[in-house]
Amino acid sequence: MAWISLILAGICEMIGVGMINKWHHDRNWGSLLFLILGFGASFFFLSIAMETLPMGTAYAIWTGIGASGGAILGMLIYGESKDWKRILFIFMILGAAVGLKLVS
Amino acid sequence: MSKEWIKVFIAAVFEVLWVIGLKHSDSLLDWAGTIVAIVISFYGLIMAGRKLPVGTVYAVFVGLGTAGTVFSEVLFFGEPFKAEKIFLVLVLLAGVIGLKLVTDEEPKKGDES
Repeated sequence: MAWISLILAGICEMIGVGMINKWHHDRNWGSLLFLILGFGASFFFLSIAMETLPMGTAYAIWTGIGASGGAILGMLIYGESKDWKRILFIFMILGAAVGLKLVS
Repeated sequence: MSKEWIKVFIAAVFEVLWVIGLKHSDSLLDWAGTIVAIVISFYGLIMAGRKLPVGTVYAVFVGLGTAGTVFSEVLFFGEPFKAEKIFLVLVLLAGVIGLKLVTDEEPKKGDES
């Protein structure tokens, strides 16, 4: 359950970060509202995950999902570079997250 | 160290404080402090990103935040020190920092899209 909350927290964080970008572009209040809701939900799920998971592990994975998920979304939706270095770093993040699940 | 980097450093300190808050808060006052720390850390991060390259700022910020949370849980909250866990956190951190730095180096022409 904690791991599901952590993944949900990461997904909500990605929505929040996406809305920061959108808000910089069009400054509409809808994006700001979703930005706040996205981060609010993200912190809520993160705190649930931390009830059982160690703090440093949960935080590191939360950040990792945000960074790798943002890059994957950028590649899929916005046609950002699919450079092999970016893909390698994404695999490092995901591999380490899976490893942390196994040792925690 | 420029004033802008000091902002990044302060933002990272507050980042660690709110992470501790999310895990350990149990009164209304604790939660209020956690929310204040979240606001300060994001505000510092966004303000520093106005003058400095955002990818680099974020990479440094995340690095400090991750190191800070892992060390404080071992030092202050009695979490056992496990070598394999520290190793995996370092791999994850290297991935995040690397990803942010190579993304930052790209030409700016994609910015309009």
